[in-house]
Amino acid sequence: MLYIQCPWCGWRDETEFGYGGEAHIERPKDPDALTDAEWADYLFLRTNPRGLHHERWVHTAGCRRWFNAIRDTETYEFKAFYRMGEEPPGGEK
Amino acid sequence: MSQSHRLKSGGRVDRNQPLTFTFNGRTLQGYAGDTLASALLANGVSLVGRSFKLHRPRGIVGASAEDPNSLVQVGRGAATIPNLRATQTELYEGMEARSVNCWPSVKFDVSAVNGLFASLLPAGFYYKTFKWPKSFWDRVYEPRIRKAAGFGKAPTGPDPDRYDKKNSHCDVIIVGGGPAGVAAALEAGRRGARVILCDEQPGFGGSLRGSREFLDGKPGMEWIDAAIAELEGLPEVTLLPRTTAFGHYHHGFVSLLERVTDHLGPTSPDARPRQRQWRVRARQVVLATGALERPLVFCHNDRPGIMTASAVSTYVNKYGVAPGRSAVVFTNNDSAYQTALDLDDNGVRVEAVIDVRPEPEGVLVDRVRKERIRILAGHAVVDTEGGQHVRGVKVMQLNARGDGVYGDVERIDCDLLCSSGGWNPVIHLHSHPGGRMRYEESFAAFVPDQPVPNTYNAGACIGNFALGGCLTEGFSAGATAAAAAGFGT
Repeated sequence: MLYIQCPWCGWRDETEFGYGGEAHIERPKDPDALTDAEWADYLFLRTNPRGLHHERWVHTAGCRRWFNAIRDTETYEFKAFYRMGEEPPGGEK
Repeated sequence: MSQSHRLKSGGRVDRNQPLTFTFNGRTLQGYAGDTLASALLANGVSLVGRSFKLHRPRGIVGASAEDPNSLVQVGRGAATIPNLRATQTELYEGMEARSVNCWPSVKFDVSAVNGLFASLLPAGFYYKTFKWPKSFWDRVYEPRIRKAAGFGKAPTGPDPDRYDKKNSHCDVIIVGGGPAGVAAALEAGRRGARVILCDEQPGFGGSLRGSREFLDGKPGMEWIDAAIAELEGLPEVTLLPRTTAFGHYHHGFVSLLERVTDHLGPTSPDARPRQRQWRVRARQVVLATGALERPLVFCHNDRPGIMTASAVSTYVNKYGVAPGRSAVVFTNNDSAYQTALDLDDNGVRVEAVIDVRPEPEGVLVDRVRKERIRILAGHAVVDTEGGQHVRGVKVMQLNARGDGVYGDVERIDCDLLCSSGGWNPVIHLHSHPGGRMRYEESFAAFVPDQPVPNTYNAGACIGNFALGGCLTEGFSAGATAAAAAGFGT
């Protein structure tokens, strides 16, 4: 079971959290201007890296707030936790 | 009630506290400190079950969690427990134990007739083959198959026992209370870290509980007892005997099952819950899970009376039980020579040590030679004889490449065959969170490759089988783990 640091509540067990998929996917400003392929990419296509992955978590059984995390998908090691709207440590998204 | 196979002295059982129990209706006696298996062996009971398909006779092979055969049903009514290993079941006064998977009795089993037709029942054959005609299923096939197959019977009444679960945090959890684990706990505990030390056995000491090895010039268990006494005095250390670690998950999460009152029996007035599940989040994990001996492969190596060599040593040294009167040791490594010495020193005749290696050398080998025990180097057991118990072995010479036998067959009478095919490190808990392993040619087994983050492997579970090395590694793993959890020197 993963051990996750909520930026507001601190270290808690994975069972308190919900997973929100890939982080930093921005809704296009003008959806009408997109081609079908671009819209489908926004809606459905996600990266599936082997290594560092930026992802969203929600502290369902705690403060119920969303936050971001960087996790190594190979070792399950969390590299960083940061709040919504903050730049990811290391800069790269 | 005589315990025909109990040695006159020795063992860590309490001979002043006899316990009466029944096995398949027979009233027998053991001592406090026995497992059901050691008490059965002490009474000369070697046949404990039947195999799943051909109902071949099955005896006790190991001395702990590794035993594949000794499944028993303990207790009755709603509190009955099916499929316990006799080797892990601590004896209590009034225990009622029965064999499973045999009918009408373990000595005379109707389905054993399948063994006569074994060649007609290929490996893929299973009872579900009986499907036709459809109307026969409910009335004929299923009731009979249920009788012939399957093991113990689940209780039908509601469970009368209470169970408990507990969440816990610690700095260092150590799985395995053998020499390496105890050393790690000492080192981490002395630095003030919150430590949990758990072991599946009723007491700590691991392999030392079944051996006569010396530490610092004293019997190994004296060192362990002193260490445990010191650990008990440390307020931040939790000792959990009778506790199996059954899961190791990411980020130092370990699940334990503590058998709190199982060893006292169902009539005990003890008000504590029967079992307790621990969910432990540890900053650092030390795995000191040890190694298990593997048996050698030969024809009819499944007869009762054929056991792993280390198990025989354990029964002799820890329980004061000789599982046979005349023994043959079959090995491919040095460790089984210790078993030959353990038996010889306790008055069991060792007919021969059969070693597949053409020129065995070493301290233990020399000591066996000095005792004038016959060593057949470059030989192998090719077959065994006997019905419900082994009566003798057939031995032939191995060729130079070790892949065939030649020459005359020699027959050696014995009622105990100790076999040792080397040791396998117990790496399951390392593998649970995705730890990789690597094949080690030198002792032909898998060992942990890179440790999982914040996890340390120490002792025999990484292939360090010598006692000195286990201790050094245990101390070093304990120190590193404590330091990583913020408890430096």
